Amino acid sequence: MSTPTAPATPMQNFVNLSALLTGIAASKLAPGVDPKNIKQTYFDYARGQDPATFDKLLEIFASNASQPPATIADIIFNQSGSGICLFARSVMLMWYLGSWYPPSELAKSGTGKPPPDSTVISSEAYTQGWAWNVAQAHPMGYSNFNFGYWANNPPSLTDFVGGANP
Amino acid sequence: MSTPAANATEYDVVIVGAGVSGAMIAKQLGLAGKKVLILEAGARIPVNTNDFMERFYKAVAKVPEVPYTPEVFTPSGSLTLTDPATLNAGRPNTMTLSETTWKDPKVAYMDQQGTLPFSSTYERIAGGTMRHWLGTSLRNVPNDFRMYSAYKKFVDWPLSYDDIEPWYEKAEWEIGVSADKSTQNYLGITFPPDYQYPMKPIPPSLVDDAVTKAVTGKSFDGIPLVVTETPAGRNSQPYQNRRVCAGNTNCIPICPIQAKYDPSVTLNMALDTGNVTLMVQTVASEIVLDSNGLVSQINYIQYEDNLGPATGKGSVTAKRYVLAAHAVETPKLCLMSKNNGRTPKGVANSSGLMGQNLMDHPLYLAWAQAAEPVFGFRGPLATSGIESMRDGDFRKERAAFRIEIGNEGWNFSIGDPWTTTLDFINGWNNSQLNPKPPSTSAPQALWGPDLVNALNDGFSRQFRLGFLVEQSPETSNYVTLSTTEFDHLGLPRPQIVYDLSDYTKAGFVAAKKTADAIFDMMGATQFTTEPDASDPTAFEVDIDGKTQRLKFFGAGHIVGTYRMGDKPTNSVVDADQRSWDHKNLFLVGSGNFPTVATANPTLTIAALALKAAKTLLDDLG
Repeated sequence: MSTPTAPATPMQNFVNLSALLTGIAASKLAPGVDPKNIKQTYFDYARGQDPATFDKLLEIFASNASQPPATIADIIFNQSGSGICLFARSVMLMWYLGSWYPPSELAKSGTGKPPPDSTVISSEAYTQGWAWNVAQAHPMGYSNFNFGYWANNPPSLTDFVGGANP
Repeated sequence: MSTPAANATEYDVVIVGAGVSGAMIAKQLGLAGKKVLILEAGARIPVNTNDFMERFYKAVAKVPEVPYTPEVFTPSGSLTLTDPATLNAGRPNTMTLSETTWKDPKVAYMDQQGTLPFSSTYERIAGGTMRHWLGTSLRNVPNDFRMYSAYKKFVDWPLSYDDIEPWYEKAEWEIGVSADKSTQNYLGITFPPDYQYPMKPIPPSLVDDAVTKAVTGKSFDGIPLVVTETPAGRNSQPYQNRRVCAGNTNCIPICPIQAKYDPSVTLNMALDTGNVTLMVQTVASEIVLDSNGLVSQINYIQYEDNLGPATGKGSVTAKRYVLAAHAVETPKLCLMSKNNGRTPKGVANSSGLMGQNLMDHPLYLAWAQAAEPVFGFRGPLATSGIESMRDGDFRKERAAFRIEIGNEGWNFSIGDPWTTTLDFINGWNNSQLNPKPPSTSAPQALWGPDLVNALNDGFSRQFRLGFLVEQSPETSNYVTLSTTEFDHLGLPRPQIVYDLSDYTKAGFVAAKKTADAIFDMMGATQFTTEPDASDPTAFEVDIDGKTQRLKFFGAGHIVGTYRMGDKPTNSVVDADQRSWDHKNLFLVGSGNFPTVATANPTLTIAALALKAAKTLLDDLG
């Protein structure tokens, strides 16, 4: 979270908002040493889709940053209109899957057939998707593990996603 | 483009197709000093697989064909399918199996006119369809070769297990198979005492362990359920200058580190002999016969760009000719070869069987959640199977099958992790893992730690079983020439007529019942769904008095269209894979299997190719 003495930058707000919504620790989304810098890729991509809504979402987060997480989530998902709610979900999906699902696609009925249109943001975005880590696994086609690892239990969920998750 | 002057060299052998069969034959001939020319319809072997990987990573639909050329989608990364009429060397893809696409020639390469869609696909590229094989390197069981003798079903092969056993050994060493023979001597399979696989086995996964623990010592329908490690064409130790498997869980569509064998390995070794020439983007268009009924030349058409114009034509001659273009394009080439009306039925077709008996291993897919985490999405896509149900007296009545235990969660089953992630973030329930809580109006949309925990619980307990069912050979399932659909070179595209017999469907019913029983033994919760009424890759069948709809998938095992046999009247090639009609013509690959048998076909394809290479060398002297 931002310190009271220095106003958070838009990037800090983006990372902290993303951590709150995704449940992945900010230190995992944006590690101190961050050669891939996927946060910048996502910041630029999401803002490029709809600058006004993106800025509004960050503003809502920044102005409520001192509230409890559940209050902030309630404001974003239930009190700020469907445009903000859906855009926030697009941001969450971007972190989880490395793809952009336009809010307009998410607004359609969720029957899943056909699945909502999406775009893989980049090959690096695919390999940085958090859904794989939440599965305690790795992106299909991008393993940093060694021969035979699959015969043993994976590291803990906390090792993958950080924070206080079990 | 490499366009050698084809007739500047006296070739001993011309091979059509640079897949596993063509590569293995070329290497053996090249090592023996024979001059070989390979005509490959598709693109060359790239310097590295970076372009393949980039296309895979960026594809929205990560279907088996997507890394390879020609591009499935135009533009790349979109979901707009490339019109096959615009391609010089098109091929089918798994995106064209829906109600609206499977009979649409604007998107589907094959002109499908059957009751059911033929659901398997193939590649036209150096390295062939084995670019996206799973790596499963099972041997057939002895009774697979003698179905008529053993069960009065189908036909016997003109080869026995003992005939092919030495060639299995050679194929296992050429591919580089990881296994231990002490686990593979079931249902009559034997090994010489001094034989061993080239590499130690691949360790089983936690999914395998969970299935093994639940079924060991148990039977279903009188057949023991025995989990066995799967011999794998992937490295458990460095082999052929390739790395050890790192468990990328991506054998299909592509191993990112080439720890899994693919035929480009052998093809490069063939080229390194200095005796093998590869002409790519060169589509064989006619087999020409002389007045004595021998093949005198093969004509071809060349192109620079798969979407561009033809850039040249030519012909090649050799002492022997080998068709190794897989089980759809090989019969298509033979049927196209009418020799100005002298061979109106095509070449190698005095039996009239060319293109007939098209088979696959139609696959029944069942998925469940284990009671405890099994941690899928890890390791090779499959590391063990249940092989004990591949043979028995039941084959008189219904199709046999093997069971593949999947390590990729519900990726194949429902498209996870995408589907379940979309569900929990949006408050949907396409995965069935996010049902509407009691007294609420919709499934929950989660965020924060609740989202992480729900997804983790969902993913970590997912697993699936795939049942590869032995399809009966039927002359009514066939490949022929489309009379209405053509490729960009003006060559006819394949027309397919396909259905599943009652015998095959009975095997499917047994597969479903076995899946249900295994899940019960495991205390797992099954989530297998019935296909939509509009899904064409499904059929209705009576199960214990109740009509049910079962979906089938293609296994990618295209078999049977130029079968081998013991007489010219009942087969296209003899036991040497030589055309009965044209003594200097060989037809190799799984098209010559008389039955689809119960093993994944690749090892048998490779073994037969190596056997054919020996025959060719004996012929050439």
